[in-house]
Amino acid sequence: MKNIRELIKEKRVYFDGGTGTVLQKKGLQPGEAPETWNITQPHKIVTLHKSYLKAGANILKTNTFGVNRTKFLNYAELIRKGIECAKKAVEEVGESEKYIAFDMGPTGKLLEPLGDLAFEEAVSIFADNVKAAAECGADLILIETMNDSYETKAAVLAAKENCDLPIFVTNVYDGTGKLMTGANPAAMIAMLEGLGVDALGMNCSLGPDKMLEIIDEFAKYSSVPIIVNPNAGLPEVVDGETVFNIGAEEFSDYMVQLAEHGASILGGCCGTTPEFIKKTIEKTKSMPYECPTYKDITMVSSYTHSVIVDKNPILIGERINPTGKPKLKEALRTGDLNYVLNEAVRQADKNVHILDVNVGLPEIDETEMMKKCISGIQAVTDLPLQIDSTKFETLEQAMRIYNGKPLVNSVNGTEESLKNVLPIVQKYGGGLIALTIDEKGIPDNAPDRAKIAEKIIARAAEYGISKREIIVDPLALTISSNPESAVVTLESIRLIRALGVKTSLGISNISFGLPQRNLVTSTFYANALQSGLNCAIMNPFAEEMMNVYYAYRALNCLDTGCVDYINYASAIQGVAKTDVKSEETLHVCIVKGLKEGAVTQTKKLLESISPLDVINKHIVPALNEIGTAFEQKKAYLPQLLMSAETASLSFEEVKKKIPKDQTDTSKAIVLATVKGDIHDIGKNIVKVLMESYGFTVYDLGRDVPPEKILECALEHNCKLVGLSALMTTTVPSMAETIKLLNKTDKSIVTMVGGAVLNQEYADMIGADFYGADAMDSVRFAEKFYAG
Amino acid sequence: MFVQKGDIKIITAKAEEIRINQNELALRLKTGREYESELLEKCRKRFNETVSYRCACIRIPVDLSEENVCKFDFAQVHSKNLYRNLQGCKEVFVLAVTTGIAVDRLLARLNITSQAEHFVTDGLSSAAIESFCDYVSDILSENLKCASRFSAGYGDFSIEFQKPLLERLSAAETLGITLNSAYLMTPVKSITAIMGIKL
Repeated sequence: MKNIRELIKEKRVYFDGGTGTVLQKKGLQPGEAPETWNITQPHKIVTLHKSYLKAGANILKTNTFGVNRTKFLNYAELIRKGIECAKKAVEEVGESEKYIAFDMGPTGKLLEPLGDLAFEEAVSIFADNVKAAAECGADLILIETMNDSYETKAAVLAAKENCDLPIFVTNVYDGTGKLMTGANPAAMIAMLEGLGVDALGMNCSLGPDKMLEIIDEFAKYSSVPIIVNPNAGLPEVVDGETVFNIGAEEFSDYMVQLAEHGASILGGCCGTTPEFIKKTIEKTKSMPYECPTYKDITMVSSYTHSVIVDKNPILIGERINPTGKPKLKEALRTGDLNYVLNEAVRQADKNVHILDVNVGLPEIDETEMMKKCISGIQAVTDLPLQIDSTKFETLEQAMRIYNGKPLVNSVNGTEESLKNVLPIVQKYGGGLIALTIDEKGIPDNAPDRAKIAEKIIARAAEYGISKREIIVDPLALTISSNPESAVVTLESIRLIRALGVKTSLGISNISFGLPQRNLVTSTFYANALQSGLNCAIMNPFAEEMMNVYYAYRALNCLDTGCVDYINYASAIQGVAKTDVKSEETLHVCIVKGLKEGAVTQTKKLLESISPLDVINKHIVPALNEIGTAFEQKKAYLPQLLMSAETASLSFEEVKKKIPKDQTDTSKAIVLATVKGDIHDIGKNIVKVLMESYGFTVYDLGRDVPPEKILECALEHNCKLVGLSALMTTTVPSMAETIKLLNKTDKSIVTMVGGAVLNQEYADMIGADFYGADAMDSVRFAEKFYAG
Repeated sequence: MFVQKGDIKIITAKAEEIRINQNELALRLKTGREYESELLEKCRKRFNETVSYRCACIRIPVDLSEENVCKFDFAQVHSKNLYRNLQGCKEVFVLAVTTGIAVDRLLARLNITSQAEHFVTDGLSSAAIESFCDYVSDILSENLKCASRFSAGYGDFSIEFQKPLLERLSAAETLGITLNSAYLMTPVKSITAIMGIKL
């Protein structure tokens, strides 16, 4: 029998239709798992399969959709029996070109960081299924009805790592053309083709009419055959019976249209029966078949969307890279993920397209930190990421857990780099930044840099990595030491573009060592764009760079009606306007929560009075005013929080003027939400307020075990500990924490708060203070340190 | 594949169709009902751009023949409180509603950037999902007399029933709602409920 990988390139093949909905008609009860029939009533399953084969289907989906080790202890047996049923049906029908797809559905759990199923645990669950299926002789793996890109990736990796069978994947799109967790077809195609699946598409949820609205997206981006397995429309209850609103005739008419729009492999899902498949085959079998062709589109993706590298310049935010950034270095050393995440969100707000993530510091475990950052950043922004490391292990681990298709920074022309980086890009998929450097260093002329690019392209092709995935960075060196650097780099861009690949530059290097660097960098950027540069790794907070970006797009017909340019320009004017507000005094700015104004006024004050006076005569009195208003119920919590955040920004400015050795860290507090409790909103409010009053806060986060809290208090010799709990079930773990703290160091004072607590509770568990609200806590802490 | 959704009805609403209940909001934000601010407006606008209201529900019989036991087709619930709540009912609506996963992502992001915006948006989302639940209840109970909504976790109606209830609604597929090991739902702003139909 022909390998199905080849067959789907040559002719249209057909899946079977619904399983569960048909079994319901045969007596399957609500709540009864259809897969159990593989053991209890196999003849019915065989009969169902046979009816689809007789209708003309080429591929049977085994009755194993919901099987995995978390739901069934006997999962392996259910899989074996399920495949046996399909085999028996194929044997009895006795026709050729019939294949058995091991059907694998979602786990029903959401993966971390939003859910609680760890990525590797998901891979392992799917891996057990795949191993069992491969042993029993399935012809291919069908991963279907997936509504989350991350879980889809886990399943595909499990399949790749545990068998050599072809992998087909179909996802569930809703009426807006997205997965439940946000991905659109382009994002899924980018990721799945990167992972090397053999066919991809959609199933379930929608009828063929709605899938017709999405099919063009697939046809536009997919280079592999497209699977379409729709429902028979929408379910309705008529006289107590569930019926789907599209019949076989209408269904098959739609399938003809879907085929015309590029669907390659046709079949059905819920509500469809052998009749639907039979009619579909009758109407489409004589239609000419064209397998999707290679699309020369350079795409990377996140879990929501793809970024296409084309005529539009791509901005890659460079700020998450410790080189030359002492604050980020410090954050990475202390494991302060919040600082990193904040940098990510701030850059995203500047409308960059991709974020570079580099956490390379010799003194930390780079791989672990990279994984934490990738996962953390993907929880707070949906931008695709560029994984940036010189360590191959770090690149591989990060690519593995990345949700989507990343950009990988980088490979170069050295043998060591080529043989280590190319295999992992082949395995996980990714856009690949290729540096024009080899064992001899960076060539001083453009033709030699282009030669290295050619070599990398050729070597990548040996691994099946096509040209479209390669983005060459011909390297910008500073003109302060290499006067011809800019000229050579620009010429290199032109030569490399002629090779048919895209280009990228770490643009800021060009001005290193010069005064007013942004002037040089932005002018160079404009020149580079004119020479054909696609991506720039750049600082989105440099206004000059953004000016060039928006103006270039407007000038080159890339911004219809100059809409983006006009919005950008008015936003710049808007910033100028907010400065008018800053004529208010710092006091008023803090009370009203005017952030920009407060920063401007703080800077002004610092020119004439000492940092300490700014704190004591301006910030603290303003905070006290809003604090008192809050206590007297004249101001509300949102206002108090705005003021606190504003004061914190002001504090940041003041701190810059205080020499590090004079920073007052005596006012400190350890804060944590206790073990078992994942609610941190109250704790975070207290934190913001404490910080605005100049406290050093050691924030341990949520769900923190007692030992960790004690360890932190001892390490920093901090005698004040604030604990929060929101659920009655976690008050005991608060009591346990207090007991441990008191037992170890009697001088530690505990304050507690949270929705379920009151004074009585607090007394009962031995807390020293109960704070009814955040302001209460601040007042107590102030008193504590005032002695 | 098999999703038991034949009898499951899906109800969606656009952000502008849901009027967020002012009392609920004031309660969450710990403000007076009159509270308005630039901050609130900014958060409300962004929340409305993010939210995707969605409900899955079924109408099924309930058997109350045994005292303090409520028998549904997906589970038998031993609960005095629920039993009392459903007195006089032969059928119930079982429903789950959610604001969608994008709201979780927005909250995670605000938790990093601004506690003020996070606090307000968290309050808005909680008030909004309650308001959407009211909206759905109004649609379902039109021309019917219904008991008040009752959720797993109230009184002696064990939180563990979230699992069979969500499975019955195929909530992972129909709404994207999943449970963690502590029976907490993701998206976090999701509610499940049983609403008795009094005949």
